[in-house]
Amino acid sequence: MKVRVKAFARFREILGSDLAIEVPDGAVMTTALSALRDRAGDEGGTIFDETGALRTHVILMRNGKRVKRSDLDTLVLADGDEVAVFPPVAGG
Amino acid sequence: MIDITRDVIDAGAMIEAAKRPGMGALVTFCGVVRDDGGVERMELEVYEEVAVRELETIRDEAMRDYPIASVDIVHRVGTLFVGETILLVIVGAGHRKEAFAASEYIIDRLKRTVPIWKKEFYRDSERWVPGSSGETHGHGP
Repeated sequence: MKVRVKAFARFREILGSDLAIEVPDGAVMTTALSALRDRAGDEGGTIFDETGALRTHVILMRNGKRVKRSDLDTLVLADGDEVAVFPPVAGG
Repeated sequence: MIDITRDVIDAGAMIEAAKRPGMGALVTFCGVVRDDGGVERMELEVYEEVAVRELETIRDEAMRDYPIASVDIVHRVGTLFVGETILLVIVGAGHRKEAFAASEYIIDRLKRTVPIWKKEFYRDSERWVPGSSGETHGHGP
């Protein structure tokens, strides 16, 4: 199935602005993040730490709702879901 | 009115449009691109669907928690030059005190949670303005 990923600001420069990633049916958020880590390559250090986990300041959303760190391994994605990943906000 | 726009913000027109007979005060906050050590322009980026929803939530919170009559918020995105208006917040109320308080609440809250980012461009360099990782209302871990 396909999951749409939106990245913003510095993360957009690394990952691209609007991409679709292929994950197995029933995949959890961690699986999608792993695909993003592969895509980020050498520049991934801005988003992921040495262990491959999301850095603490990174904000993650699924269909416009913020995702808790504790839910990454259990949150099952659906075909067509929109995942957003972005750094701390700086509007105003 | 809640809006994300790529066009120039006309503060005067917005203030006139916000006026109602019961209002004795319209407190207006205008955020502007500052020449911060040689900034020539700024690019603002937005996660639009979420930003609009978040601005609506902030307006609703302000209307609930302060005795005010109206809230208008317009945030500009795209390319902006020094002196241009980034953000306009207008709070209408019977009296100034509550309008000032609500206005401060709105701008502080907006800076923490609305998904908008700024990149500053200098003559020879560029940088993303460091942000706030404040919780988005109701969805935070």
